[in-house]
Amino acid sequence: MTDHDSAKIQHIHEELHSHLPSEPALRAKALESLLVEKGLVDPTAVDAWVELYSEEIGPKRGARVVAHAWSDPAFKARLLEDGTQAIAELGLEGYGGGHLKVIENSDQVHNVVVCTLCSCYPIAMLGIPPNWYKSAAYRSRTVREPRVVLAEFGVQLADEIEVRVWDSTSELRYLVLPQRPDGTDSWSEERLASIVTRNSMIGTDRDLSTDG
Amino acid sequence: MDGPHDLGGRQGFGAVETEEKEEAFHALWEGRVYGLVRAMTRADDWSIDWFRHCRELIAPLDYLTRPYYDQWLQTYAAMLINSGLASLDEIVSGKASTAAPELPAPMTSEYVRETGRRIALNSEREADTPPRFGPGDRVRANMMGSPGHTRLPGYLRGRCGVVEAFRGVHVLPDVSAHSAEQAEPLYTVGFEAAELWPEAGGRRDRIFADMWESYLEGA
Repeated sequence: MTDHDSAKIQHIHEELHSHLPSEPALRAKALESLLVEKGLVDPTAVDAWVELYSEEIGPKRGARVVAHAWSDPAFKARLLEDGTQAIAELGLEGYGGGHLKVIENSDQVHNVVVCTLCSCYPIAMLGIPPNWYKSAAYRSRTVREPRVVLAEFGVQLADEIEVRVWDSTSELRYLVLPQRPDGTDSWSEERLASIVTRNSMIGTDRDLSTDG
Repeated sequence: MDGPHDLGGRQGFGAVETEEKEEAFHALWEGRVYGLVRAMTRADDWSIDWFRHCRELIAPLDYLTRPYYDQWLQTYAAMLINSGLASLDEIVSGKASTAAPELPAPMTSEYVRETGRRIALNSEREADTPPRFGPGDRVRANMMGSPGHTRLPGYLRGRCGVVEAFRGVHVLPDVSAHSAEQAEPLYTVGFEAAELWPEAGGRRDRIFADMWESYLEGA
């Protein structure tokens, strides 16, 4: 039984701080051995999760969705209306995609996503978040000085462009739909997907390059 | 709680380290911890909100300096101890000295590959509760925080914004972190940057956050 008592958890954290080895790899090894011995985890299931996120569940999925939205206006409309249902059409449903909201950039608007309270991220679309997304610097500053943060990523925005910052405080997950670059009208979806960067779907990248 | 996790608008953290290899895990142990968390059997009275609260309760210095997945590890270790599924000695030594808890068998790799990968968390609940606010309504966020878990960030307390959208009735983290589930209408609310930050005058930027109905009053 869990007592949901904050003071007790705080005390346990203090004990763990004093007694656990400081090297994270050693802590992780001890916890895995214990959970396996107690029958609480099957190590091959851990392998399977690691493999899925290392090889399959990553930004390529989001890029596929963006390219499909650029190519098929009816799909784009469905994606903006109900992101969760739209990604299921492509078989891309999964953790961190249960309440997906897709927000569209335009000439007048730039969107950027953050989670100031923890690290909420559209994992089903982008995989495991980068360290900077989870860092104190990004979490504290993006809601306060988004243009300065974006400049650190190389994104310079004209004053006329409105910045919309989305702080992921609920189970809704936000994915930015970047603008399709000019001169790509004849491109296949596959080729379009190849130029969609992970950061453009978080909002820390804006003008996609067609040179690659 | 007014912990170190409530980072929105805090100053002094320096530049964002934007150069980072694009890969899921930067070290083997990070992947193991992530996989462990996804694969392990949980106590049936744990929730995502209880997990988040337990992470917020890490001592501030550790919260701001220990690696991310190391914090997950310490959080789950604390939850296991608190729920009687493991002892401190066991977590430290990595060896079991008490009987295994009577819980269902852990998920298999086949389950992960065929089913688990497609499962998303659903926080929306069927409810007849009519939403009190609608798009365009002007609202003010509560001035008071909460001694326990809450998803109302400090930088929005007492500030006025405009309802952008009603998002359905969702599990309220403030309650779910500490006891049985309760659901409330959820809204996305937009705030002008100039309403939040003294130096933002003239900037046309807006900050949106998702807020449960009890976080808000009409303004």
